[in-house]
Amino acid sequence: MENTSSLNESACSFCKKPIEEDVIFCPHCGHPENGTEKERAQFFAKRAMNKNKAIDAKDKISSARNTLFVLAGIMVLFGIIIYGSTNSVLDLGINLFFAFIYLVLAFWSEQKPFVALLIGLFLYITLIVINAIIDPVTLVRGIIWKVLIISYLGKGIYSALEARNKENSSN
Amino acid sequence: MKLCNKCKEEVNLQDNFCKYCGSPINKKSNEQNRAVLNSIIGFYTIIICYIGFSSLIYSTYPESLFADIGVELVFIGIVLVFCAYNFNEIISLYKSPKLDSSVYFKFLPLTILFSYLIYFGIGGLNELLFFEDSINIIYQYTYTEYPFLWSIVFVAIIPPIFEELAFRGYLFNQLSKIISIELTIIATAFLFALVHLSFISIIWIFPFGLFLGYLRKKYDTLWIPMLIHFVHNSIVLMLDYYYYNKELTEIL
Repeated sequence: MENTSSLNESACSFCKKPIEEDVIFCPHCGHPENGTEKERAQFFAKRAMNKNKAIDAKDKISSARNTLFVLAGIMVLFGIIIYGSTNSVLDLGINLFFAFIYLVLAFWSEQKPFVALLIGLFLYITLIVINAIIDPVTLVRGIIWKVLIISYLGKGIYSALEARNKENSSN
Repeated sequence: MKLCNKCKEEVNLQDNFCKYCGSPINKKSNEQNRAVLNSIIGFYTIIICYIGFSSLIYSTYPESLFADIGVELVFIGIVLVFCAYNFNEIISLYKSPKLDSSVYFKFLPLTILFSYLIYFGIGGLNELLFFEDSINIIYQYTYTEYPFLWSIVFVAIIPPIFEELAFRGYLFNQLSKIISIELTIIATAFLFALVHLSFISIIWIFPFGLFLGYLRKKYDTLWIPMLIHFVHNSIVLMLDYYYYNKELTEIL
């Protein structure tokens, strides 16, 4: 059995990995080794599209990461503003604490983008709810910003999930 | 061996593409992962909105046993509906655990020590930061006829069962499908601390959540985390009850 299969083996002309000679598509990269001209054109078009998608996903992840940095900055800013008006060290401390968590998540998203961004999104939603409990008016204040921040984080999370899937499948 | 989604020919699981029609083989798992992620985001968002609404209800209907029970039932309902979608995976977490001596000689004493430490440590920290005494749990139920009984139900019995089911059961299962088990433990512990909506609780519930997540992973069952959670909550409650009685007799 092994002898016959090695006899029929050749290399894929695109990814250079060994494949059986009579297959239509390379099982490793999907190149239509024995396919029609049309299939070949589709293969290269798809590859170009995927490459664009990967670049797009990277962009989305990095803008989600920047969103976390911005959120950390906003927390520091609000902490200082509140401290200026109430002189409460505790409020300043709580704001700085959450700013610190956002910062940690932003740096962590370099290594583990998916889980860091997911926790960042949940933290943001939770803080919105806490603020709404203390003062319901804050729920609608700056609602466009809230939607923007959530959508940036959300896009980053879904892109990170897909990028991670591709990495796993290529290994 | 599995079949290609498109042309239904047999394909190798190691391959990236079907060698007969060229369609990608693991495309389905991609969609499954998206569905899992949707369910995680949906679950957490619903839980956090529920918590927001419940605090609204508590402030509009203070000292109403009816409202208390209603709010708890809604929480139980939400958790059970989500678990029903993953019934088989959840039910396997309730098989009888293989207990070893470390549960009795290591984890239980550790929990008891931790509970005492938290009770007095956090009480002191609360006074230091917020300049106020921590609220005795029993006082929240003195409007009922049996404050001790109701506080047992609402503090020592319902949270260990359903919070464990929600965080160590459903959320843990779903997250571990897309991220590694270590990251799952960290993420569930952080979210568990976050939903308690208290600044101080983040500091101590996070390590407690890590501990519960570790036990869930080690024994692959919910019984142990439930037991530890129950022991912890009961000790805090008993200490509160002790001080409640002490104050009561002092007044009399």
